[in-house]
Order: sequence, then C-alpha cells, then structure tokens
Amino acid sequence: MGADSGSGAAPGPAVPWRKVLWERQPFPDNYVDRRFLEELRRNEGLRQYRYWAVVQEAGLVAQQISCVALFLTLWLYMEQGLLSPSTLLWTGLLCALLGYGLYQALAPRGDSDNHHRTRWSDLQSASIFLSFTFGFSPVLRTLTESVCTDTVYAMTALMLLAHLVAFPYAQPSPPGSLSLNAALFASVCLASRLPGDLHTSGGLDSSSSPSSLHTFTMLCWALLVFALWPCLLQRLRDCAPWVFGCVCVLVGVCGVGGLGSLWPGGAVLLAALLGTVTLLCPLLLIRLQSDKDNIQGPWDEAEIQEDLTHFLH
Amino acid sequence: MVLKIFFPQCCNKADSGLLVGRWIPGQNSAVVLAVIHYPFIPGQVKQYIHQMRGQSGVDLTVLGSWSMPKEGQEGMESFLRDLSTIFPQGQWLQLSREMGKIGFRCHVLTRDQNGKLVQQEKELKEDGGGEKGGTKRGGGEKEVEGEEGGGEKDKVIFIHYEQRKVMLSQLHPIDNGVPDPQTESQLPQVFGTVCQSEPLFFLDKYDDGPVKMTHWQSEGREGSIIVELMKQASTPVCLLTTWMLTLWTSLCSSRILNMRTMRFISSKLSTCLQLSYRTEHLQTVCSPTRATAHNHFMRKANIFVSFFVDVSLGLLLVSWMYRENRIGKLANTLVPAADHVAKELEELLQWLMGAPAGLKMNRALDQVLGRFFLYHIHLWISYIHLMSPFIEMILWYVGLSACLGLTFALSLLSDITALLTFHIYFVYVYGARLYCMTVYGLSSLWRLFRGKKWNVLRQRVDSCSYDLDQLFIGTLLFTILLFLLPTTALYYLVFTLLRLVVVMFQGVLHLSVDFINSFPLFAMGLRLFRSYRLAEGVKFRVLVRNQEPSTPHDDTYPTHVSFTVFLLDKPRHVYVSPTSQINPLKVSSVVQTYRTPTYSCYPKDSWLALCKKLFLGELIYPWRHKTTKID
Repeated sequence: MGADSGSGAAPGPAVPWRKVLWERQPFPDNYVDRRFLEELRRNEGLRQYRYWAVVQEAGLVAQQISCVALFLTLWLYMEQGLLSPSTLLWTGLLCALLGYGLYQALAPRGDSDNHHRTRWSDLQSASIFLSFTFGFSPVLRTLTESVCTDTVYAMTALMLLAHLVAFPYAQPSPPGSLSLNAALFASVCLASRLPGDLHTSGGLDSSSSPSSLHTFTMLCWALLVFALWPCLLQRLRDCAPWVFGCVCVLVGVCGVGGLGSLWPGGAVLLAALLGTVTLLCPLLLIRLQSDKDNIQGPWDEAEIQEDLTHFLH
Repeated sequence: MVLKIFFPQCCNKADSGLLVGRWIPGQNSAVVLAVIHYPFIPGQVKQYIHQMRGQSGVDLTVLGSWSMPKEGQEGMESFLRDLSTIFPQGQWLQLSREMGKIGFRCHVLTRDQNGKLVQQEKELKEDGGGEKGGTKRGGGEKEVEGEEGGGEKDKVIFIHYEQRKVMLSQLHPIDNGVPDPQTESQLPQVFGTVCQSEPLFFLDKYDDGPVKMTHWQSEGREGSIIVELMKQASTPVCLLTTWMLTLWTSLCSSRILNMRTMRFISSKLSTCLQLSYRTEHLQTVCSPTRATAHNHFMRKANIFVSFFVDVSLGLLLVSWMYRENRIGKLANTLVPAADHVAKELEELLQWLMGAPAGLKMNRALDQVLGRFFLYHIHLWISYIHLMSPFIEMILWYVGLSACLGLTFALSLLSDITALLTFHIYFVYVYGARLYCMTVYGLSSLWRLFRGKKWNVLRQRVDSCSYDLDQLFIGTLLFTILLFLLPTTALYYLVFTLLRLVVVMFQGVLHLSVDFINSFPLFAMGLRLFRSYRLAEGVKFRVLVRNQEPSTPHDDTYPTHVSFTVFLLDKPRHVYVSPTSQINPLKVSSVVQTYRTPTYSCYPKDSWLALCKKLFLGELIYPWRHKTTKID
C-alpha cells in the first residue's frame, strides 16, 4: 500500500517521516508513507471449526429438543388413554434406578466413603421429591381448571421455549434455575389437562379432572427428563465421549419415532428440525466463517492482560 | 428621644395630686397607675407605696405631680415643684390640665449630676382643636408628622389607655407580622405592670385609709355577688370532688380490675378510654390550687365549660330516649338489624363461592374459604341470639351512662357497632393474612424462579445457585400460589371493603367525640362576649396632633394618642372602630391557642401509604389514638 505523497511536494527520503503528532515536519498533514495500515490485523483469533466437532456439539441441542418431544409424546399417550399411568410410573421408576446405577458406575474413582455419604443424601433428596409431589398432586390437578385450554397450551409452549433457550448447554450438570423451573411449570400446566379417570374421581363429577396418579406420573417423568437426565448426560460426556454421540443419536431417533407413532406429520417436522440443527447449521457456520471480516489494530480499546503469576512466588 | 407617658383615661378628670406608677426601664416611658389626692402625709404615702411594692412586686414609685385646678385653686405650681424634693426621683413629671381644655401641659424636671433640678423640657401646650381621628396602623407607630423642633428638644407623647380593659386583658404574642423590637418589649411590660398592680386598685373612695386615690376602681370595687358566692362555694366543692375522684381512681387501679385481660379489653373499648380521659379532666379542674398562669386558667375554664355542655347535652339525650320507652324500641331493633347484616354477608359469600362477576375461581379453594367464613358468621350470630333476651335490660342500664355526657353516648355507640360487626373484623383478618402470605410467597418464589435471591445484608437482589430439591419444590409452590392468587385476592378485596365501611363509621364517631373534647368553648365565649380579654396587640389612634407654635416658648407639643386593644395581623387592612375599642384575637387563633390536647384521632397513614398497605395485605388500623400529652 503505497499512499505515496498524495498532494503537494514531498521532500526526498533525506528526512524520514515519523508518525508523531507534535513535531513540525516538512510533510503535509495528511501524508502517510508506505507503512500505512501496517498494523492492521484481519480476522485475528479466527477459529477454525472442524465440521464434525461442531456437529457433535450441536448434537446436544438436538438431543434436548428431542427430549422435549419425548416428554410431549408421553403426555399425548396419557391424554389419549393409550398408556395407563401406573405403567408409566413403574417404567419411570425403573429407568430412574437404571440411570442411577449407571451414574454411580461412571463416577470417577474417589474414596468409597464419599460414595456412601452421597448415596444417603441422594436417598433423602429422592424421598423429598416423591413425598412432596405426591402430597401436592391433589392440589395440582385442579389448579388450572378454570383457565381456558388455549391459554394453558400457550403457556406451556412459552415455558418450553424458555427452557430450551435458557438451557446451560455448556455445562448441563447443575441445571440452570430458569430452564428447570420453566420446564416444571410447563409440566404442571400439562398435567392439569390430562383427562380424568372416571373410577377414581367419582361419577358425579362432570368435568374431567385428572386423577392424582396422572399428575404424579407426569411430574415424576418431568423430573426424570429435565432434572436427572442432564446430570447423567454430563457424566457420559466426561467419561466416554463416543458413547455420548451414540446416546444423542439414539435419543433423537426415539423422539422422532415416538412422535411418529401418534402424529406422523409431527415426526417429519421434528426430523427436519433435528437435521437442520445438527447438520445444516454447522455447515452454515463454517461456510460463513469465510465471510468474516474483522479488523483489529492499535485503535482498539486496550485490554488489560493481568498477569497474576507474580503473585505466585 | 421620645418620652412616652401611659396615662389612664379614668384619671383624666381626677383632682390634683401625685402620680403613682412605674418607669419602664430602658424605654424612656412611664406608666401612670393612679393619682393620690391631697391632703396626704408624705410619710404615709411613702409607706403605702412601699407596702404596695411588696404586695404586687411592681416597682412602684411616685412619678410626678398632677394638677387640675378647679376654680379658685391657684398657685399650686411652686408647691408642686417643692414636692419633687420630698420624693426624690431621676425625672419628675409635672402634668397639668385646665378644665375645659383637652390637651395637657407637661414639665419634666431632670436631676443632673449635681443633684440640682434642671428643667429640661419646655412646656408642651395643647391646642384648642378637637380630636383628630386619624387611625394609625402597625404595632406602635407613634411618629407624628409635622413636629417642629430641633434635635435637642425631646418629644413627649401621652398614650391614654383604658385601665380596666388593659388590666383584664391578656396579651398574646403576634406570631405573624414583623415585631417591632422597641415596641414589643414595651407593650407587654405595660400590660404586665397594670395587671400586676392589682393590689393598688383595692382601695376605693369609700375606704377610710391614709391615702385617697383615683383609679379605675375608685368608684367602687367591681364584683358580682354570683361570682363571689361561687368563689366561696368552689373550695369545698373542689375538695369533695377531689376526694371522690381519688376514691374512683384507687378503685380503678385495684388489682381485680388491673388484670391483663381487663386492661386489654379496656384499652380497646373507647368508652373506657373516654371515661379515663374525663377523670383526668375532672382532676385538673377540681384541683384545689388556684391556676397561676393564664394558660392554666384557660385550660381549666375550657375543660369545665366543655364538660358542663357535654353533660347537659347528654342529659337532654337521655331524657329524650327514655321518654316513651324509645330505648326499649331501640333494643328491639338491634338484634334484627344484626341478623339482617349477617344474612347479607351469607348471601355475599354464596355469591363468591359461585362464579362472581364471571371470574373464574379455583373451585376447591373457593369452597373451602367460603364454608370456613360462613361457619364463623354463623357462630357469631348464634352468640348474639343467645344474648338477645338480655339486650334490652343491658341497653337500658348502659344507656343511663349517657348522663355522663354526650361523648359517652357516642363512644358507646361506637363500641356497640364494633361488637356487632366483630365477625366482619374476623373474616377481614383471615382474608388479609392469607392474601399477605400469598403475596410475599409469590415475590420470593419469583426470585427463585429466575435464580436470584434477596440479600438481607445488602438489601438487594443477588444471584444464587440453588440445589435441585430447592428448585423443584420452589417451582411447585410458585405454580400453586400463582394459580390460587385470583381467588384469595377476591376474598381479600371484598372483606377489606366491608371492613373499611365499618372503620369509616367508627372514625366519624371518634372524630366528633374528639371535637367535643377539645374545642375551647370558654375561650370562644370570651372572644365573642368579652373580646378585650384576649388581645393580640394594640392600635394607636391620634387624639390631638401638634399644631403650629402659638407662643415663642412652645416649640414642641404633646401628642395624645389613645390606646385600643386590637388585632394586628393583616397590616394591609385598615380597621377603624371609633366606638368599641376592642378588636381581639382572631377566631382561628383562639381555637388554635386554647385547644385542649386530647387523645386525638387522626389518620395514621397518608393515602399513598394506605394504598400500599392495602396492596400488600397488611392489616390496617387507620385511626390511631394518641396518648394524652401533658403540656
């Protein structure tokens, strides 16, 4: 880039031009020499993405979407009366035990003493969950009785969207407050819209209020899917990354399959969505990297690089 | 330097004699209180004045001499001047007046350092003109236009005051307007001098004493038989009443009546409050010691008059109610009225338990709350029905207590209302507590929903990482509370409105009781009928202006000004009152100054604070009772 002597006479190289402000130089004010924009740096810190790595990371997002889809499938099954709540409940408990066993098996080798203590606190937590849920079920089942169904569905959709947006994809293990709360709120809303069991709620009751068992089952599954499953997933990712990939695929397939058994159109949509998220979006990301044009130079704000090593004497 | 002489109007036509009064220190003014006539023995005069000084505490002296010669009395001038040697003073006034003329003549003799009397003042001559009625405004504007004379000649102003009214009036401080420091300290001193010299005015012309005086009471001491009789009778009556009151207070503070529950109940019933308050009042009034300060006297008088009016109104009410057995009829309508109110409440609750105004309520909670409140109302009505045979008798006897005053009748009414609407208070408290808990729970759980918590130390919202079980249970509770909020809010709203209606009614009753208690009737009566007794300032009116000098000797002229007791707070108004000289304290100032402090009932919170409390569900007690303040 030679913006050589734009206007006016430039004296020869006898007096070199210096880039200082306070000195009178024989050059005009807007003179720049060959070293113009020497310090410009383009796309510094540009990351080189590898396609399959990005796909793997995007798999987590797809996995979460299919989890939500699975949950909705379960609810649909219960709503249409295809599955009885007791079956689902026992299945859920079984899955919980299996998952817990896997979780413990994959735990890093620490002292067994720690394990015993953790097992006891886990048991406490589990009993608290179960008792509270069971205790509140009768209250929860009639909670949204007077609210219009459309409103309930709208609230559910909003809350599940909030859950997906706020989910801590980088570190799923301690579940984020907002995402977990939104998912539980959505599940309570859905649970109150389940049809009632005529034998349990009494024949004189004309409005179909769900029985306590429906609500309890729904909440237990919500807990499993939204609170406990991410912890296991985190463990898997830490210990056996290749298993993690398989699990994500499996979950996706189950989600699509489950939805497909009730609503084929939905299954197609879900598959398309998952494909987009997993395969198309990373491609877009990598393609669009080449269109990046960031410039950095000495005109940027100074970043203080604190070197704390001198504290470590 | 202007020499001001305050001269009583009653002495305008007095015979010649000695002027007795007081020099006001530092102000170069003198207050003349009385004139001692001839013949007198100087020794006796001195002794009398000494005695009076001791009795009244006022620095009385002989100011000078007064001469108003009748026909045939001449040649007093030298005699009068010789008098000044008998009564040694710093300054000696020689006032003289001629019959038929209006103005005075004044000589002022000053004692210089050598002890010789030097006549400093020139003669001040009157003029033959009539009174000029030019009203002057302001506190003590005494400058007169058109005075001639150089600087070395002092000016003399005569200020005529009506001694009786000044003696009886009470000067109040002017709180608005610019106080003139020179006049301010002078006028209260003048008033104070006249008031305190009361012992001087005891001798009238019928007394056979060593000295013969002229002052406002010299025609005969003022008094009325009724007042004297009442004064004589008051002491034993006061003693008797005080004794009875001590008995009553000792009874009230006995152990039986001082248990915690009794005290609690009596603090809630306004009748007991009013009773204790009136007892206190009576104790103040009937204390055998005389009231010394003016404030104290006015307080006693106000309390007595208001008590009297209260009792008479109460007796009137009792006589009206007990005639034709109206009280029985009232008692008979009381229970049906309470029944009617309860029925209305039940209907209201049934309406709430359905779908009120088309709102969607949570059915289960609705039913629970509705049945709960219905049961309580039913309980209360059963109690009232249980009491209904006795109500007439109770009311008959309790209504007799209205003899003690109208305020008692009103307090009684307020208490009966409170008792009959107790169920409303009950359900209001329940509803408010429930709503309050809901609101607080919701706000706290909303913070948990977002992953934040309230930092009590820093009084702000901070982020917090919750445990899994905390999150779970918190979300469940949040959902429940959120969906139950409309139901609790509606119940709360309805009961709060009912409670507010009752509170307003009671508040009106309490305000009227408070008004009767604290309104200063005596002061208002004084203001209307004897307005000179409550003075706020003075107004000066020029009687005789100085005129052109008629003789070469007379350069300065006396100025005669009349003194009226007057109201002074709006300098822009020109208030002329040629006949009645009294313009007193403003009515609102009377009420403000003499209002008896009571356990006044006033709203505790501003409107904004009240709305905030209602929104949050805190219990409201909008009328607060102050404890009686002792001045």
